[in-house]
Amino acid sequence: MAGLDLRNLVKAYGRTEVLHGISLHVDDGEFVVLVGPSGCGKSTTLRLIAGLDEPTSGDIEIADRNVNRLEPKDRNVAMVFQNYAIYPHMTVRKNIGFGLRTSRLPKREKEKRLEEVAAILEMTDLLERKPAQLSGGQRQRVAIGRAMVRDPDVFLFDEPLSNLDAQLRTLMRLEIKKLHQRVGNTIIFVTHDQVEAMTMADRIVIMNDGNILQAGTPSDVYYNPANRFVAQFIGAPSMNMLPGLVAPDGVRLRNGSTVDVRIDAREGRPVEVGVRPDDFILDGPDPFIEGTVVVREPLGHETLVYLETPAGELTAKAGGRTPPELGQRLALGADTASIHVFDASTGESVRRR
Amino acid sequence: MYRNLTIQQKKIVWAWAFLALPVIFYLVIRFYPTANAMLISFQSWNLLGDRTWAGIENYARLWNDPVFWQVFRNTFVYLIIGTPVSLVLAFVIAYHLDKLAFMHGFLRVLYFLPFMTTAVAMAWVWRWFYQPIPIGFFNNTLGSFGLPQIEFLRSTTLALPAILAPAVWAGLGFQVIIFMAGLRAIPRSYYEAARIDGVSDWTVLWEITLPLLRPTIVFIVVFSSIGFLRIFDHVFNMTTGDPGGPLNSTKPLVLMIYQTAFADFNMGYAAAQTVVLFLVLLGVSLLQLRILQDR
Repeated sequence: MAGLDLRNLVKAYGRTEVLHGISLHVDDGEFVVLVGPSGCGKSTTLRLIAGLDEPTSGDIEIADRNVNRLEPKDRNVAMVFQNYAIYPHMTVRKNIGFGLRTSRLPKREKEKRLEEVAAILEMTDLLERKPAQLSGGQRQRVAIGRAMVRDPDVFLFDEPLSNLDAQLRTLMRLEIKKLHQRVGNTIIFVTHDQVEAMTMADRIVIMNDGNILQAGTPSDVYYNPANRFVAQFIGAPSMNMLPGLVAPDGVRLRNGSTVDVRIDAREGRPVEVGVRPDDFILDGPDPFIEGTVVVREPLGHETLVYLETPAGELTAKAGGRTPPELGQRLALGADTASIHVFDASTGESVRRR
Repeated sequence: MYRNLTIQQKKIVWAWAFLALPVIFYLVIRFYPTANAMLISFQSWNLLGDRTWAGIENYARLWNDPVFWQVFRNTFVYLIIGTPVSLVLAFVIAYHLDKLAFMHGFLRVLYFLPFMTTAVAMAWVWRWFYQPIPIGFFNNTLGSFGLPQIEFLRSTTLALPAILAPAVWAGLGFQVIIFMAGLRAIPRSYYEAARIDGVSDWTVLWEITLPLLRPTIVFIVVFSSIGFLRIFDHVFNMTTGDPGGPLNSTKPLVLMIYQTAFADFNMGYAAAQTVVLFLVLLGVSLLQLRILQDR
């Protein structure tokens, strides 16, 4: 078993607390993505797990062993850095082999492992090259290779794809996911890109301001966001928020119309109704708000339309072939099942399934 | 006419307008005298009389002059001891200073201060250090511990290192700063990755830090070598009564050139020595670049 447990982890730099007691359990072989805006504490968490920084309080357990006081090398973790941290003066072979420098394996065994890793990453032909002769994606693979040769309990990835161009990023995303399915080690992956998080993770951990806001499967955090932050952070474009008050028959919006959602809350309580752009039904039955198209963004298979409404600017999705005209008035409604409601002051969901 | 030029051409015009002054300056102040010196090295001239053609007579005399070979040897001793010693010292200081946060700025200033001080003032202070009892600081210290005196500047074996020490010290601050800039340029994640891989500090130093500092080391080696080959003011000021030390034991090439030219007024001979110095500097620098630069 090589799971991971964080218990009440606190990190403070001087008087500034950047991590406010987070707890997380990661199963053996799980692919967990920590995601959040910059400064949310996700990289700090990763560095604490790696042992590059020491926690102010709390416990870190890797494979049921408390590693708080262990040096990074004794934790049996491997890390892939954002800038790859591969050494420019060493060949690919030496770079990958660097991960095995301290291992007590016999030399032949080391060589064998190195060759195996190179084969998995399809780098056998590149072993004698220097990093300067490699493309961005290949360098990335060297960095992953160096982590792999050590066969660690836990792989740590610190925004490894953010230096790649969009196309390569999509490709590497896939490769890392395949790799995980093949080798099956536990992976903690840090990113600020919610698409990366959604596509790769078994479980997403959304962080903000040094707290974990929600942890769950990609579909869980997408369809059942625990709070307004998660709702707006996951999914692009962002979820629309319409302010209103709890009424006996649903939520009364500012324009006087009622959104038909039953929620378990005191009448008159201020809430926000959340609707994803995809979930808006244009000119369907039972609309609850009207707006004028002010901007259109054609994406090919669909068109994003921005509407000026009494609840502020809203985003909706329309078909790609026959998008609404600029200036056209549209009535917006949504299926009750797809509507989210959040408390206006705490931001917590009041309608979780 | 200017208006019809392309933007690129206008840039070139301006670049040359600004470059013209230094180019003229260099032609008049540097290149003309250099060429002239090479010419004079084949002539005989006492600064006042006529120049007469001498052929390779000056060089032949140089070849047969035992003082020249002594001086030649001294110059290389300055280089061969001075450069590695100052390189290692500067690196060790920079390496540790880089890790230190407490009083970092203050210490850096302390190391840099000698570099800004005039060599003459420094030479005289060190000269005072080296004096015998009851004046000299070192000998007084030795004396108070009951240890025997050392004739730093009057010994044929000790005088050269005694002069080299302040010269190394004077250049150290600059080299420390350059090394620190080089150390700062190495991404921190290189060290963090090594920490996770668990390699020793020694391995990190030899296999990551030093190879990545290679360009810095090349620069410092070439730069300080040129400095030691041209050493003059420390020697001249620390041995004024007897320039060049006992039995020419500290005399470097530049001092010999100076004496030949402005004490003996033998311009042709001095010019020949200058040409030799020029060739030595050129050769050593090219050799170092060749050896140290990345293949």
